[in-house]
Amino acid sequence: MLNYIWAGLIVSSLLFAVGYDVRDMRLDRYRNGEPLPVELAFPEGYDSAARRVPVQVMINGDEYGRLYGTEARPQRRYFGYLSTSQEGAQVRFEAGSAFPEPLATIARISKSNEDELQGTLVTFTAPESLQSSPGSSASEALLVAPATVRFEPVRFVKITAISAAAIEFAQTAAEIALSLVGVMSLFLGMLKIGEASGVIFALVKLVRPILRPLFPEVPADHPALGMIALNITANVFGLGNAATPFGIKAMEELQKLNPSDDTATNPMVMLLAINTASIQLVPPVLLLALMGLQINQLIFPIIITTSLSLLVAIVAAKLYAKLPSVRASDPNRNPSGFASTP
Amino acid sequence: MNALREVLALLSVFVVPAILVGFPLYGLFRRVPVYETFVEGAKDGFNVAVRIIPYLVAILFAIAMFRASGAMDFLVDVLNPVLRPLGFPGEVLPMAIIRPLTGSGSAGLVVDMISRYGEDSILVKMAAVMFGSSETTFYVIAVYFGAINIKRTRHAISAGLTADIAAALLAVWIVRLFYG
Repeated sequence: MLNYIWAGLIVSSLLFAVGYDVRDMRLDRYRNGEPLPVELAFPEGYDSAARRVPVQVMINGDEYGRLYGTEARPQRRYFGYLSTSQEGAQVRFEAGSAFPEPLATIARISKSNEDELQGTLVTFTAPESLQSSPGSSASEALLVAPATVRFEPVRFVKITAISAAAIEFAQTAAEIALSLVGVMSLFLGMLKIGEASGVIFALVKLVRPILRPLFPEVPADHPALGMIALNITANVFGLGNAATPFGIKAMEELQKLNPSDDTATNPMVMLLAINTASIQLVPPVLLLALMGLQINQLIFPIIITTSLSLLVAIVAAKLYAKLPSVRASDPNRNPSGFASTP
Repeated sequence: MNALREVLALLSVFVVPAILVGFPLYGLFRRVPVYETFVEGAKDGFNVAVRIIPYLVAILFAIAMFRASGAMDFLVDVLNPVLRPLGFPGEVLPMAIIRPLTGSGSAGLVVDMISRYGEDSILVKMAAVMFGSSETTFYVIAVYFGAINIKRTRHAISAGLTADIAAALLAVWIVRLFYG
């Protein structure tokens, strides 16, 4: 099943990305090559010889809407500068300016090395005399000149985005895994002491009556039950950092009982179902941070929901295990059949 | 309600210290060489973390691609008319879909919904209960099965997703029962 879900995610990402990009191209959503009319104001005066002149870019909202066919309106005024080089004059908007779509997407593609939205000046009449811009007092009079700006063409936004996301999250995945090393070592060390001193076996005796019906395949005195108990306890108290090493250790113990190398047994699926259902009575720290005192109102709904969904998880794990296809793949029923089936 | 919360919060403060102090103390009492045993066990920490990397990469990059392609938004649009009759508001549907896929993504969604609908809104309450009452199923599968190299997961995903669907529906219904 994981094979199909995994391949499905990847293939459908590609199909959707291509679909959206073709649609954008057909609608010419980014008006590639069509210049945007603006007005440039020069608060510190205009000097055609200077390589860098500070400028305020004023975009007429209605003209913007007409060009891109959108209801969104940009700010009236953006700060930036005019940069002149051999390739011609370019308008650069201050980094971090907020743009509406589709200009926001254009800004991610058509940018300078300093992450400023950058466009080439197409038409520009150098300002000659001092004009007062409408709506401002005479003391704020600025040099104003009309101009049009052309941005770099934007194509294949989604295709680029899925590749970028894949590469970014591959790195994130490794970072998450490695960030577990410290806490994992701490609790695995403690567990080793627990095993050697007999705490785990004492715990097994304590929880056996509760856990036995859920894990009938595990022998009554097996340490796996103790690890499972620790995993569940840590989960109940919202200690995700501690729960993960306990859960992994429990899985390792269950793997010792598994006749196959790479196929999950029923108790493994049960432990996983319990963990994915989450059994926290203490809300996660993250939610506390996000919701603040609101959490007081939510604590009861969360406890009820999580208990009922835990029940659903346990029943589902038990019921699905009885399905013929699932039964056939049980390594404990049919250990020899495993080597042959891929 | 508050008393229960206080008791739980208090207990949860003591669980970790109880393990960190209790285990070595009991070990000393039972004449276990505690330091050497600890180091012996801790050695595995790095191996486990490294072992789960390929599994996590496989799951997380596929989910990231799916989100970036716009397929997630499409899925929300398609499922919306099906779920309306169940009393399931379309605004919380992204949460129900993202919750089993990414933990940080769903936390981001809670923040986004607070800014959009306000902290007191019933939609935010539904999303928050959904967040608090279920786990990142695919991450848990990758980590737990990755650690022991299980590749054939059998009914683990169907059971986990069944619980996730139940949690999403229950969150909506129970919040409506309390605050509807």
